[in-house]
Amino acid sequence: MDGLQIKKVWLDRTVERAPRTRFLLEKLGDRPLEIVENVEAVKRAIRLSPDPAGESKRHLFITRQKSFIRPCPCSPGCFGCGYWTIDLDLNCPFDCSYCILQKYLGFQPLTVAVNLEQLRLELDKIFSQRASGIIRMGTGELADSLALDELTGHSYFLIECFRGQERFQLELKSKSSLPRSLLEIDPPENVVLSWSLNPPEVIAREEKGTAGLEERLGAAAEAARHGYRVGFHFDPIIHYTGWRQDYERVIESVFRQIPVEVIAWISLGSLRFPADLLPLARRRFPESRIYDHEFIRSQEGKYRYPRPLRQWLYQEMVVMLSGFQAEGRLYLCMESAEVWREFSEKIKKGRLKTAFPFPWQC
Amino acid sequence: MLGKDAMVYKVIRLADINQEDRRFRFTLNPADRRLLNSVREIGVLQPVIIIFRENRPVLVDGWRRIEAARACRLIELPALEVTGQTDDLAVFLLAFFVNYGQRAFSLAEKSLAARKFFEFRLHPDEIIERILPILELPPERRMLELMLEVSALDEKFLAIIHRRDWKPSTAELLLSFSPAERAWLFLLVERLSHNQQREVIENFFSLIRRTGRNLEELAMEPELAGAVDRLLKGETDAVDRLLGALRKANSPLLSRVNKAMDEEIKRLSLSGVKVDYDRSLEKRGLRLELEASEFRELKQAVKSLADSLETGDWNRLFELLHYEGE
Repeated sequence: MDGLQIKKVWLDRTVERAPRTRFLLEKLGDRPLEIVENVEAVKRAIRLSPDPAGESKRHLFITRQKSFIRPCPCSPGCFGCGYWTIDLDLNCPFDCSYCILQKYLGFQPLTVAVNLEQLRLELDKIFSQRASGIIRMGTGELADSLALDELTGHSYFLIECFRGQERFQLELKSKSSLPRSLLEIDPPENVVLSWSLNPPEVIAREEKGTAGLEERLGAAAEAARHGYRVGFHFDPIIHYTGWRQDYERVIESVFRQIPVEVIAWISLGSLRFPADLLPLARRRFPESRIYDHEFIRSQEGKYRYPRPLRQWLYQEMVVMLSGFQAEGRLYLCMESAEVWREFSEKIKKGRLKTAFPFPWQC
Repeated sequence: MLGKDAMVYKVIRLADINQEDRRFRFTLNPADRRLLNSVREIGVLQPVIIIFRENRPVLVDGWRRIEAARACRLIELPALEVTGQTDDLAVFLLAFFVNYGQRAFSLAEKSLAARKFFEFRLHPDEIIERILPILELPPERRMLELMLEVSALDEKFLAIIHRRDWKPSTAELLLSFSPAERAWLFLLVERLSHNQQREVIENFFSLIRRTGRNLEELAMEPELAGAVDRLLKGETDAVDRLLGALRKANSPLLSRVNKAMDEEIKRLSLSGVKVDYDRSLEKRGLRLELEASEFRELKQAVKSLADSLETGDWNRLFELLHYEGE
């Protein structure tokens, strides 16, 4: 809570009397509060600021969501991993230079939904309807799963919703530390707490406001000791001179603290971003060098590293992770079937077919 | 809001109009041949709009008609005079909306309109929320700032932006250069299409960021200097060479592999067989195309391919297509 730099709280009039609203407002203390008819008034305040993307992180909007659950759209032309997203919170207090939410969410403030009973109904419906296979769901697509947790307690709520639903895995993906409340409950087998990882130099330069590497790994280790399964996301992998040594040190740090057996999955993804993010990111992060690299414009309109470089990055990461017997837990995020095929052949040594390449399907 | 009751019709002498006072001007289209021909034949029929400031008529709308009238040596022309105590902001709103209904504005004109509203003390928030959407620009403070920056450019640069209908992103990129560099870039790209202008500017921007060198140093690089010199002399066909060299410099990995691929394909010395591949290297397949206009040529092409498969180094091509590395 202390780390949150919320300068104003906006309350959707329709949830003024909701019990969860009272709970949140008490925790938010004496910050300025304004009751509004809808999000447009908040967006107006954000839009008129010199840095709307940055400003959006300092306004908290308490509201209700019309619906929460949807399939992750992945990226056109890419090999999807079948993820489902739960849009419980929107936007993120952290300020990563490469984050697509800067553009994707427009002027959306930090948004917290209070109609959790509806989310529970949606989840119950999905739990009762989906017939087979493992379904992964998570809140980390349009928000950081844990960044607002000290305020909202949403993770605790979700974990209890998923308890006993063995065919459904809940992933809480973050760049923050571990909320203490998650250490006060019995961790279900189907809940995975995961952290995005990058070398400390990249975190310091490109991931403003986030927990440092050691803090994230300490949180993961503590979660693992408490009985949670954990996951890691090397995403985005940033290429620069000396990247390999830096990532190798990160991987060594991971396995110094966390036994491979408790790791549910590790994803790899290289830097990619929609074309319209480029001018905004250059303006907001003039000191960042990540946009000065060689890119190709892929068919879906995103900038990516050229395929030979992406595959080499993945290959080198596989080599490093194989040293800790973690290769069976790897998958790629937002990559083409062509890159996937080659990657699968390398890590699975022909044991698995491309149709079932994901660690949670093994 | 001004209505038609606030205007009176009159005929004014062209020489009386204070054309030095351009406070209400934000349009940049010059009088074209068609308008000149029309005015020459039948004179100016549609009244210009004027208002008196410091006892002289100042033009509110009708800059092209005035230009044509002068060229055709007209003495008088019809005008609607805005009467009463009307402040400059209200008059400019009139000038703006009279033009708004007639055609889309260029980015340069939008920037000048934003500047006028700002100078006539329309509140910045109102410009952002009311005017920018009308101009089909995102209603953001940054966009207003960008428009004000663009409007402050030299008139001859604004003319280039206007003629080539620049997008805000191109203007923003250009403004990241120093004033001297901007002037040089404008000179370089003046005669190119907007897409070419944008690509040249983007590539120079990227190259400066990637290499840490300045524009002057880069322009003297042997790979770029020849094409730059030719473009500065107005030889627009040099743009392809310049863009090729810039793309190569900004894409060292792809350029290296593409060059090696092209050399290997050439080395195969195929006759009637075209070998192609995805130059972005996203796909790793080769595409072969046989070219023949008669049966004999087809047989030759197939034989050329068969011979090459026996003796040529096709594996090298596939190695390159599967290349992984920095």
